[in-house]
Amino acid sequence: MGLVTDLLPHLVNGVSLGLLFALIALGFMLILGVMEVINLAHGSLFALGAYLALTLLTPKSGPGAAAIAWYAALPPGTRFALALIIAPLLVGLFGMLIELCLRRTYGKDPLYGLLFTFGAALVIEELIRVLWGTRDYVLPVPPQISGGLLIEGMIYGKYRFFAAGFALAMIALLWLFIERTPYGAIIKAGAHDSEIVRALGINLPRLRMLVFALGAGLAAIAGIVIAPIWGIRPHVGVDAVVPAFLIIVLGGVGSFWGAVLASVLVGLAVGLTGAYASEWSLLSMYLLLIAVVTFRARGLFGKKSVLEA
Amino acid sequence: MSLRQTAFLTLLAAGLLTLPLWIARVGLYQYLGIEILVWGLYALSFNLLLGYTGLPSFGHGAYFGVGAYAFGLLQKHVGANLWLDLGGAVLAAALCGALVAAFISHRRGIYYALMTIAFGQIVWFVAIKWHSVTGGEDGLLNLKRVPADFGFTSISLADNVSLYYFVLAICCLAVWLLWRIVHSPFGRVIQAIRQNETRAAFIGYHVWFYKWLAFVVSAGLSGLAGALFALAQLGAFPDVMSLHASGFVVMMTLIGGGLVSFWGPLIGAAVFFVARDALGALTSTWPLWYGVMFMAVVLLEPEGIAGLWQARRGRAAPPIAAQAGD
Repeated sequence: MGLVTDLLPHLVNGVSLGLLFALIALGFMLILGVMEVINLAHGSLFALGAYLALTLLTPKSGPGAAAIAWYAALPPGTRFALALIIAPLLVGLFGMLIELCLRRTYGKDPLYGLLFTFGAALVIEELIRVLWGTRDYVLPVPPQISGGLLIEGMIYGKYRFFAAGFALAMIALLWLFIERTPYGAIIKAGAHDSEIVRALGINLPRLRMLVFALGAGLAAIAGIVIAPIWGIRPHVGVDAVVPAFLIIVLGGVGSFWGAVLASVLVGLAVGLTGAYASEWSLLSMYLLLIAVVTFRARGLFGKKSVLEA
Repeated sequence: MSLRQTAFLTLLAAGLLTLPLWIARVGLYQYLGIEILVWGLYALSFNLLLGYTGLPSFGHGAYFGVGAYAFGLLQKHVGANLWLDLGGAVLAAALCGALVAAFISHRRGIYYALMTIAFGQIVWFVAIKWHSVTGGEDGLLNLKRVPADFGFTSISLADNVSLYYFVLAICCLAVWLLWRIVHSPFGRVIQAIRQNETRAAFIGYHVWFYKWLAFVVSAGLSGLAGALFALAQLGAFPDVMSLHASGFVVMMTLIGGGLVSFWGPLIGAAVFFVARDALGALTSTWPLWYGVMFMAVVLLEPEGIAGLWQARRGRAAPPIAAQAGD
């Protein structure tokens, strides 16, 4: 009994952290699974989303002062929701731009795609430094979802529940989109056999562009939702992209539920070690990875992938 | 060796040997020469994996860093003997590489890249968190440039010019070793693995072992470069192990043309540091412009400077395997 009540908050913490990790990994997984591109710019797009939301949430005066005044008078909840829509759309456009350049690397060694996105990550990170400076920011949270909750004598941050619930909703939506809509079927088919998909008269280049935009937008959404918890710094992207890598390797490339399960496992590992040895909490996910790949070389649910050739 | 290669090597040797005489006159500084040599060696040994074996190791900063830290720790706790410390650094990096390679050598392609990133992050993380040994984010400070003791004579490395020549000598040895390796039967096998791993396995080569050994050699020599860097910097710092720094060595290798030329990575390292200083003098946001330049290289000329040079000489750039015979 005592052990359970001791452990419970850490378990809750771990699972909610795991869901956030899953949220980060979604866009990365989509682009890797469908386009076979390791998008090293994922973390930078994540950060870019958070910064754009920051600008949208804390409007400063400038040209169009009347519009800004009207916008600033909106309730914070509405503005947060608006930022959650507008910023990912902008980042999605940015993703389209990257994909447009990336086209030249298709059909060549997949290394080039990875290297190109590394260059893009460098550029985005530096752009962020130029536009927003190097200082830390905090993303303001609307009052409805801030503050604490008292459950059985323990205080939980309300926002963490919101973020975890949001992550769950995004996971479900993406799964429904990929598995239960014709668009998802086309995307999967495009990843599987692009020649036949093109022969069926589907505009594959446009499809790939939209997938990349969707992946970039998902990165931005993750960035915004997680920003109030982790804070906003120019290099916050690196903190985000590394768990995403780990989770994909751990879950197995190409497996949706593998990635989700891996995220929760990683979250639990970090949450539980955080309770007893906080300094080393992040190391536990690496140890988990090593333990898993020692016994299951392709991760938990990995299948033999075209990416290995 | 063809006439063209002899001419290139003579020019390269003359340029490197006389570098301390003219580098200050063209507005640069002595320390830059050391940086270029050290990172050039690092990129050359990295290219044993990327260019020759076809393995994208994206967390190679780990072995460079392990070399630097091992050098510093040996100097502080075991003994300030230069040869012992350098040798120990190579050994430590090779051991670390051997361990990681044992986990990943049955993989290839993008999966290999993901795994090397993950392992690189582990090493970086340990370096940052293990305060009592590594000094955490501050790194190992106050290392000394101990003199190079040859028994009959001892040479001080305190000033940058003598250190430059010392590093040059070590690099020559290491690069000669790399050159012999890639032109040995072992070198032929790893190039065969790059071209077609399955076929190499069917011919009867133990592919796993060759990939493992290539990684160990590459990690060990990267560790040597890291140790020399610690010697030059008077300290070992965790930033060389970050994902970014690991990306930089890939950039150097690619921009120089490591995919088509043995010497490409060295050229790339020189271009990287000169570009850093030249762009850095013009603008404080040099990574932005360097990133743009790098993206353009990947898209337009992925075979880099060496590839451009070969194309200018009116022949299709031969893959590394094709020029191995000379």
